[in-house]
Amino acid sequence: MLTAAPAVILVLLVLGAALIMVGLQSLGLMPVFGEPQLSLNAWADSTSLLESAGVSVYIATLSTVLSAGLGLLIAVYALTAGRGGRLVAAVSAATIPIPHLVASGAIGLLLADAGFLARLFGMPEGFPQLVATQWWTAVILEFAWKESAFVALVILGSISRSAMALSETASTLGASAWQRFCHVILPLARLPLVVSGLVVFVYTLGSYESPWLLGPLAPEPLSVRAVRLFGSTQLSARPEAMATALTSVVIAVLAIAVGLLLVRRSGDRS
Amino acid sequence: MIRHTSRTPRLRRLGPLAGAGVATLLLTSCASGSSGSSAETQEFEDFDAVLEAAEGQTVDLWMYGGDEQGNAYVDEHLAPAAEELGVTLRRVPVTDTADALNRVLDERQAGREDGSVDLVWVNGPTFSTGQQAEAWRCGWTEMLPNMALTHPQDPLLTDDFGTPVDGCESPWHKAQFTYFYNSETVEEPPSTLPELLDWAGENPGRFTYPGPPDFTGSVFLREVMISQAGGAEEIPLQYSEENFEEFAPAAIQTLEELAPSLWREGSTYPRDEQALNELFTDGEVDYGMTYGPARLTELLDSGALPESTRVLPLEEGTVGNASFLAIPVNAADTAGAMAVANLALSPEQQALKANPDVWGQFTVLDLTRLDSADQTQFEELPSSPVVPSYEELSENAHSELDFDWVPALDEAWRESVGRG
Repeated sequence: MLTAAPAVILVLLVLGAALIMVGLQSLGLMPVFGEPQLSLNAWADSTSLLESAGVSVYIATLSTVLSAGLGLLIAVYALTAGRGGRLVAAVSAATIPIPHLVASGAIGLLLADAGFLARLFGMPEGFPQLVATQWWTAVILEFAWKESAFVALVILGSISRSAMALSETASTLGASAWQRFCHVILPLARLPLVVSGLVVFVYTLGSYESPWLLGPLAPEPLSVRAVRLFGSTQLSARPEAMATALTSVVIAVLAIAVGLLLVRRSGDRS
Repeated sequence: MIRHTSRTPRLRRLGPLAGAGVATLLLTSCASGSSGSSAETQEFEDFDAVLEAAEGQTVDLWMYGGDEQGNAYVDEHLAPAAEELGVTLRRVPVTDTADALNRVLDERQAGREDGSVDLVWVNGPTFSTGQQAEAWRCGWTEMLPNMALTHPQDPLLTDDFGTPVDGCESPWHKAQFTYFYNSETVEEPPSTLPELLDWAGENPGRFTYPGPPDFTGSVFLREVMISQAGGAEEIPLQYSEENFEEFAPAAIQTLEELAPSLWREGSTYPRDEQALNELFTDGEVDYGMTYGPARLTELLDSGALPESTRVLPLEEGTVGNASFLAIPVNAADTAGAMAVANLALSPEQQALKANPDVWGQFTVLDLTRLDSADQTQFEELPSSPVVPSYEELSENAHSELDFDWVPALDEAWRESVGRG
């Protein structure tokens, strides 16, 4: 407890100060100019706030499911496929340092209506619309690509040694590949999978660049709405921006609470 | 894992939390306490005193960083000239001018008197917002010797988006809203805005505009409203709810009806001018629009826009405005900022900046007030192969509506057309 104190205090100070300021501003108690006055106006437009929250949760959920699934596949392949597997692990690890902004730009160039892929196929009529669609396809694909590498890295880092030894033992005892996956790797990978999935969910929930670059103009996720309102030339929109940001924080905290509950449970079982 | 936590450790665990909470409360209350007393700023007797105080100062000029010619002009021409006055000019690029204002407001909120923003290249909405928050230093421009070279009654320089300038910002250059088209795909370009909208209806998927509140898209929306009302003189500049109810619905309805014929059937819109330019260059749409026609020359040269791009003059004219340099009230290097603003207004710098090979921005000076040597500088400027002269572009031009129209219209658009 004491050794963690310096870090905890620092985080609490910075985060606490920021959150208190955000809360105060959302309630009109810290206006940019004029007298502070308690008001719930910023929270009044709850339909569009809820709509934005819905979009954010939709993007985060799908991105998390996809990247967890893909990440697990990459990890399993890397563990079982020898040299090819190590190559896949190295390639997926190499995508991690690419910033999301660059990755989003690249995905945009690749998948846009007149993007690289469409041109490669000679701009066919039926080329699917992926960028700026109401299903947020390109955004989710970008997250799935980048975050699956992260999930794979976490899984590999935490289980590679034990999994290798155990599945070799299992295979000498006659376990099939499927049995080794179900009864050795999956139970071992469950905890890192849940933890990294949680990180991915919270990250994609608050992430701005990809939805901003690759998403449609409306409806907008919380992050995009918050930034738009914060930069609005109408100063009265500031409290709304803060309310939006705070909503995002609340959802993230709830997700973390649920996730930790899951982690504790899976810890109990194993 | 600890399952049973006794009372004391939990309280102890809460200790730092409570401490942090109290500390932050103190911090925030201190900050908001001191921000009220920012009125006292440095005053100067005359411009010589300004120049004297400016020596050795470093001026941070916050400006939109996405315009490479603009960046190059400031770095290669304005900054060296400022150096001769003993002022170091540092360009701070921002993605949106509102970021600069936000920084000023945040610093004021935190009670900082030696602000990190000294000079801002502002547009109308940002200026107007800053005026609401009393964030700009006022009454300093008449002190600038080069202000005498501008026309005192030039409507573009006395009002900025309907907000009186009142010496709170110094003019930098003029701009004219300009449409352009691809001459390879459009054989008979329209000559008025209603004709352009008709063209868009007849050619599904070949036209779109940036979605407001993007700056360019927002201008287009106002132009449509003015056009639907039958001209700029029909709409009162002053914003009021009655005026809004009278004129806005027609514009929104027109754009709503047009939406199915737009790019992507109007289900979404490009987010800004750059995104529209990309669609234009990729051949997805046939029209583009910009409030910075000066950039077209360079965009064509660099291949960012196709060679077949042509400016589309409209018979009824388009909206024009001027952009300005403003100094925040809490700027740390006010004198240096004033010296730079005066320098930026000098005939040499204005002529240099008007050169299409440098930046191509239209001058704010009244050429009849210059001596003949300075006039020659402007007369000898090369002309751009794409962009017509300012006189031609600004024919029948109208000025911007009051700023209050902007957010009201943008919001109405977002709530209806923008939802697709």
